[in-house]
Amino acid sequence: MEAITRLFTELGINPPLLIAQLVNFSLLLVLMYLFGYKKILAMLDERSRRVKESMDRAEEVKIQAAKAETAFKEKVGEARAESQAIIKQAAQLGETLKEEARQEARKEAQSLLDRSRGEIQKERDESINALRREFADIAILAAEKVIEERLDKESNKKLLDKVLEESGWLKKE
Amino acid sequence: MRKPGCLVLFIIAIVLIISGLLIGPLAKSFIGEGVPEFIQVQQPHIELKPETIIHAGILPVTNTLLAALLTTVTLLLIFGLAARKMSIVPRGLQNLVEMIVEGLLSFAEGVAGKENGRRFFPLFATIFLFVIANAWLSLVPLFGAIGVEEHGTVLALFRGANTDINVPAALAIMSFIFVEYWGIRSVGFFPYMSKFVRISYFLPKNFKGIKSLGMNLVMGIIDLFVGAIELLSELIRLVSFTFRLFGNMTAGEILLLVSMFLIPWVFSDLFYGLELLVGLIQALIFGGLTLVFATMAVTPHGEEH
Repeated sequence: MEAITRLFTELGINPPLLIAQLVNFSLLLVLMYLFGYKKILAMLDERSRRVKESMDRAEEVKIQAAKAETAFKEKVGEARAESQAIIKQAAQLGETLKEEARQEARKEAQSLLDRSRGEIQKERDESINALRREFADIAILAAEKVIEERLDKESNKKLLDKVLEESGWLKKE
Repeated sequence: MRKPGCLVLFIIAIVLIISGLLIGPLAKSFIGEGVPEFIQVQQPHIELKPETIIHAGILPVTNTLLAALLTTVTLLLIFGLAARKMSIVPRGLQNLVEMIVEGLLSFAEGVAGKENGRRFFPLFATIFLFVIANAWLSLVPLFGAIGVEEHGTVLALFRGANTDINVPAALAIMSFIFVEYWGIRSVGFFPYMSKFVRISYFLPKNFKGIKSLGMNLVMGIIDLFVGAIELLSELIRLVSFTFRLFGNMTAGEILLLVSMFLIPWVFSDLFYGLELLVGLIQALIFGGLTLVFATMAVTPHGEEH
């Protein structure tokens, strides 16, 4: 026992000093925990949490972007199909309109033709009539000259008409 | 060696080493007393016990106690200042402190597992930081050169705290207390104690008839012996913890003193580098072994079989 005590004192083991060192270390441990590790570990955890969160968010954003792109492409495809349809429709409409216009024009032309044909007919009849009258007058004049006798113009004309009727020359219509 | 600056430094170092050889005690034995008095190096006085500066009641305030307090204040200042104004984007001192804490935490988690690593971290980190700060602070120039005069002799005001056996002993005791506490908390008092007092073979529930009585008796005695060895090893840890750190640090200190005495000036720089490494290694060993013992203590020992 004495040997151990001597060894201790020889090495410098000193109970009050040992206790002082224990107290010092305990104090250091407690203070380091309270003012150091606790905060620093909390900060490290917070940072790793944030990093994880932001990475998750980035992943989400990426997925969303991909989704949006797909949707966009879909929309574009739809729009293209729609525009194609509209163009087709418009072309059809144009075709129809053209056809209608052509029909209209043809009808117009027909009616114009008909009308002008009627006019021509009328003109012809009128000129025939005028001609006939003229001819009657001439004939009367000629007859007057021939018979040298002034007949009643009116009765002569009637007579001539009758003659012409009978002869069938220049039949009306 | 391309740059002229390098060459100049190299030449200066060589000259210093040679002149150190010439004025050191080695030369003295060759050329006798030809060396002028004022550049002679005094023979170092090696004392295992720390020197007492003043007595405060029954507490002798030694230079090692002052050094330990200095280490404590330094660590608290660094960590307190760094942790006072923390931000998500670290700056300056916070970077350093976070790097240290993160490194130590990953070490602790690597040894003890995720959950236990967190639990053991404060003790482990404090032991590591205290030991390494003690070792490295004592390597700071002028650390051992500040002296106080007492009774005609000059005493160093600071001396590396690790070289006082009370410091490693205090650390070993703290480590021991925490390891046993964690063991009891995790496993339960009686299961934990059954590691040391192994009487399971003598319990009635394990009695398997009269035929295997002899066998049980032999196994029971061996088991008792194993338990006693476990108990002894737990106590021996205290001693080995203490003397490993004390021995290494004291040896380092003496090595530096002797190298400075034998060949003054630059020669001892080599040993400074070595001592930096030794301080780191000893801190890691002390902390690491505490972690290992704590991990062993919190593992139910039924699992070991």
